[in-house]
Amino acid sequence: MMRIAFWGVRGYVPTPGAEYLRYGGNTCCVALHGSNGELVALDSGTGFCQFGDRLMRAAFGQGRGELTLLISHTYWDHILGLPFPGVVHVPGNHLHIYGPDSTRGSLEMVYDGILSPVYSPVYGLANIGATHNFVPITTEPIQVGSLTIRAMPLSQRLNSPIWAYRIEEGDQSLVYITDVRYSNDIIWRQAVGFAKHADLLIHSAPYTREEHVEDYGHSRVEDAIELALEAKVQRLYLFHHAPTRTDAQLDAILAHYRAELAAAGHPLILDAAREGEEVDV
Amino acid sequence: MIVRIWGTRGSYPVARADVLRYGGNTTCVEVRAGGRCIVLDAGTGMRLLGTALESEPQPPQAIDLLITHTHWDHIIGFPFFAPLTRRNCEIQVYGLRRTQSSLRTTIANALSDPLLPMDLEDLSARLHFHEIHEGLGFELGTVRVTAARANHPYRALAYRLETDEGILTFIPDTGPFHTVLFGDERIVWNGSPQPNSAAELQTLASMRAGIVEIARNADWMLFDAQFTDDQYARFPHWGHSTANQAREIAEEAGVGELLLFHHDPHRSDDELDRIVAEQQALARPGLVVRAAHEGLELRRGSYIP
Repeated sequence: MMRIAFWGVRGYVPTPGAEYLRYGGNTCCVALHGSNGELVALDSGTGFCQFGDRLMRAAFGQGRGELTLLISHTYWDHILGLPFPGVVHVPGNHLHIYGPDSTRGSLEMVYDGILSPVYSPVYGLANIGATHNFVPITTEPIQVGSLTIRAMPLSQRLNSPIWAYRIEEGDQSLVYITDVRYSNDIIWRQAVGFAKHADLLIHSAPYTREEHVEDYGHSRVEDAIELALEAKVQRLYLFHHAPTRTDAQLDAILAHYRAELAAAGHPLILDAAREGEEVDV
Repeated sequence: MIVRIWGTRGSYPVARADVLRYGGNTTCVEVRAGGRCIVLDAGTGMRLLGTALESEPQPPQAIDLLITHTHWDHIIGFPFFAPLTRRNCEIQVYGLRRTQSSLRTTIANALSDPLLPMDLEDLSARLHFHEIHEGLGFELGTVRVTAARANHPYRALAYRLETDEGILTFIPDTGPFHTVLFGDERIVWNGSPQPNSAAELQTLASMRAGIVEIARNADWMLFDAQFTDDQYARFPHWGHSTANQAREIAEEAGVGELLLFHHDPHRSDDELDRIVAEQQALARPGLVVRAAHEGLELRRGSYIP
C-alpha cells in the first residue's frame, strides 16, 4: 500500500505564523512511501527541509538512503528547499532527480545555479555530499521498485515547462498536478485523461473563481473539482494554498464546496492538503 | 527612529508551532527615521512589511532597500513585496559591488524564468540599483549609513544607521574573526582549522575592528547568533556566530541592547529563551540582551512620518 505524507502544501512563498499553522506554511513537498520501502518525493520546496530532517533519523542518517525526487517545474516554491537539510550533505546517500529541462537550461544547471555562491554558501552542486543524478523527464514510464511513475507535460511555456506525475502501485494510483492553467481544451483533455480514475489527486488551487485574482499560472478551486469529477477521481486534495489563505478561510472553502458536492450527489471526497498529514492511497 | 522587526530567522523560513514567538520568517527589518523608509534585507519578512506599508494612509513613495548579501534567505521575500506593484513607488536598492555579477543581474536572474516569471522591467515600481563597498559612508535624508565587511562566505556587508535620535547596527550574517577568513572562495573544512597566515590574521583583525566600529555605542545591535558553541565547532565554515561571540562584540563596542538575530531554523522558542537568560546573566552591567522576535518595535525620540 502506498502512503503519502504532506510536508509542504503552501504555494508561492512560505508563510510562518499562527493563522497558517494547521494547514501549514511550508512550500511544496509531498513524500510517497511504497510498500517495499520505496521513497519518492514530489517537489522540493521548504517542506523538503522538514522531510529531510525526518529522514536523517533512519538510513539517510548513516548514508544509506536513496530518494527519487520528481520536480514539476523549477519555480522557487518547488525547488529552494533542496540544499538545506543534512540528508543531501551526507556522503553515501543518493538522489535521483527527475524534472524538466527548459530552453533556459537543463534541470541540473538550474539547481547548480541556485547553489552558486552569490545565492548559496554551498558554492554549487559539486559540493552536495550525497551522490546525485539528474534525468530530464520524458513520458517514458519510470520504475522505482514496485512503483510505476508516469509524467506528462501540461504547459506550453518552453521557458519553464510544467509536468504532472502519476504514480501507481498495483491498482492504486496517485496523481500530482500543480501550477497548471487550463488555457485551452487540449490541455484540459490531457489532464482529465492523465488523472482518470485516480484514487487520489493532489491539485494546486490557490484561489477560488470569485476572488478574481489575476494569476494566469494557476487553475482555480473550481477547476480542480471539475477535473476530479470529470476524471472520476475518488479523493481530491486541494494544494498550493495561497500565502494569504488562513486556516479559517481554508476550513470555510472546504465546507462550502463539500456542501455543493453533497447537494449534487457527487461521491468525490474533497480535502485540503495539510502539512504533517499522512494518507494511505 | 522606529525599528520594526519583520523577519528574524536564518538560512530558510520555518513554519512550525515551536517557533511562533520569535518567528519563522527570514531576515527583514524596517527603519523609519529622518523621514525615510529604509528596509534592511529582503527575506520572507518583507512580504509582511509590504502588506503593512500598503495599508498605511499614505504608503511611502520612496523606499531604500539595503541588502547585506544575496543568499536566498536575504532575498526570498523581494518578489512578494506589495509596493513593487505600485506605480508611484521608487525603490533604491543598495548592495555589494562584485566583479562576477552586477547587483541588478543577480536579482533579475533570481526572479526570471525558469525560477520565477518576473521581469524587473515590467514592474510598476521603479527600481534603481546602487553598488556599494565596505567602508563606504553615505546619507539617506538625515540618516547616516555606514557599510562594513562581515566575515561570511562570498563576503557580505553589515550596516550602521545613525540619526540624532538613535543608532541601529545590523549584522545579520557573520562568523567570528579568529579562525576562518571568508572571501570569494569556498572554504573546505576538514574538521580542523588551517593555521592562518600573518596576512589573513591581519585581514581578520581589521574586519573585526570595522565591525566594532559600526557597533560603537549603538542603541541596538542585531547580530548573527545562529549557532550554539557546539554547532560552531562543527560548522565554522558556514560563516555564523554564537551568542557568546555576539555578546563579546556588543560589550567591546559599548552597545546598549544586543538583539540576538538570524536564529537557526531548528532553534525553538524555548531554547532561545534559555540562551537569552544565559547571556543576560553573563553580560556586563548596562548591556541588555534579548532575542529579536517578529513584530518587535523599538523606538528612540519622536518620529514624524
